[in-house]
Amino acid sequence: MEDTTTLSAFFDGWELFRTAALSGAVAGALLGVLGVYVVLRRLVFLTAAVSQTAGLGVSLAFYAQIHFALPATLTDPLLGAALLTAITVAPMILGKGGHARRTDSLLGFAYLVGAAGALAVGTRIVQESHDVQTLLFGSAVAVLPEDFHTLLILGGLLLALHAWWWRGFSAASFDPAGARVRGLPVRLLDATLFLTLALAISVCTRVLGALPAFAFSVLPALAAVRLTPNVGWGLVLGGALGAAVGFSGYVLAFVAELPVGASQALVGAALVFLVEALMRAPLPRSLRWGTG
Amino acid sequence: MSAEPVILGLHRLEVGYGEALWPALDAELRRGELWALVGRNGSGKSTLLRSLLGIQSPMAGRIQRAPGIRVAYVPQRGDYDLSVPARVLDFVRGGVDRGWSFLQPGLVRRHRAAVQAALQITDTEALAHRQVANLSEGQKQRVLVAKALVSEPDLLVLDEPTSAMDVVAERGVFDLLARLRTERRMAVLMASHQLRLVPEFATHTILLDADSGLALAGEAPAVLSSEAFLARWGTALT
Repeated sequence: MEDTTTLSAFFDGWELFRTAALSGAVAGALLGVLGVYVVLRRLVFLTAAVSQTAGLGVSLAFYAQIHFALPATLTDPLLGAALLTAITVAPMILGKGGHARRTDSLLGFAYLVGAAGALAVGTRIVQESHDVQTLLFGSAVAVLPEDFHTLLILGGLLLALHAWWWRGFSAASFDPAGARVRGLPVRLLDATLFLTLALAISVCTRVLGALPAFAFSVLPALAAVRLTPNVGWGLVLGGALGAAVGFSGYVLAFVAELPVGASQALVGAALVFLVEALMRAPLPRSLRWGTG
Repeated sequence: MSAEPVILGLHRLEVGYGEALWPALDAELRRGELWALVGRNGSGKSTLLRSLLGIQSPMAGRIQRAPGIRVAYVPQRGDYDLSVPARVLDFVRGGVDRGWSFLQPGLVRRHRAAVQAALQITDTEALAHRQVANLSEGQKQRVLVAKALVSEPDLLVLDEPTSAMDVVAERGVFDLLARLRTERRMAVLMASHQLRLVPEFATHTILLDADSGLALAGEAPAVLSSEAFLARWGTALT
């Protein structure tokens, strides 16, 4: 019997897998770039907190639809998700989460309120729970063409903005006091950075699922900042590694018959392990790019 | 009185959280002056600096900046996360942007000469390709000053620039600030609780003591020989 899980079988069926594989690459590239800020600003639980609070927003919207008979525009589940996501990142935008430890606590608080709230509200909207899951968590296995196009356009716009504004985002992130004194619009830069992060995370979660979105926003950036000498190159390499992890994770899932999200996360983790081993190896300084 | 125009004026200034830390303070900073802001930990030095920089609102009084002056700030070492990957060159280039200039591609390239000059005057040229995180405390402080200098400021404000330094590195920083004052005619305002080198390098001093509600500003010899200073730190300079 012919083995249908080989690499050549994957490329033979490229038409079938193209959308999902490329979605992994695009989401990986987008979150690989933005993940550099996530990692260096110690915001790794931002993804988890955003997906949980978005879940609570969707659940509350369904609850309002069922119990309060409000107009459909006011109870749109995606509006609920967007509103709760905005509330999650608001303390950071308003400068209340500047201290790393405080930001960490706020994200933990948002995660717990989102998770517990969604569970509690879920008991009152049992018949809608499947819709909640569908709306919130996509599947990296099969991606709808319209979702791929949304991801492609959003990814292109956000990457273009980040390529243009990266010096501002970097100054606001790593030298906020100095940047403010030099007249940079630190509050606006921080707000834009957090809103683009929340938007990218929520759309990638919606299209591919929570696990790959979390993995893409942390693992490629972790590897990139270990390898590169500065934030600029970290952003470039983060994007390249993210795209590679997203795509190769999908291919591995096909070849090894693994769940796609898990496979993409494991490829990312293997990359981090490999880079860490490389950085600890007794290589001559001339071969090291990121340290000096 | 100096012929130089005032670039930063403090008029009946009061700062604090809820209540003023000390009575109203008056001072006038000019080019070519090095002001040492001295006081014990918790005396309100950083709060005053943050007010002067516009990061925190004063409780009363007025801060007057000369039109068009450029200010650069070197925060306390602990305010920087030096685990962020950056070579000295990248770190210093980060000081180029002012206002909305981060929107201009190629700006850093156009300021190559200013970056080079900042590295040169801080004696950090040889470190340009080293990671900032791997430098000694004295080297890191010189790099922080280089980053502030790259935007060619008229007034350089530093918060505790010599904390955690040995005496040799500390003197190196004071020497550098003295050169900036004399060679570039820059005004320098630095907070410090290390008093040993203040009489040698400072032209002016602001003495703060939140415990006894004291704020005294003036030429360094006058402040450092005042009864108020001697009562608090009489033996510190000997």
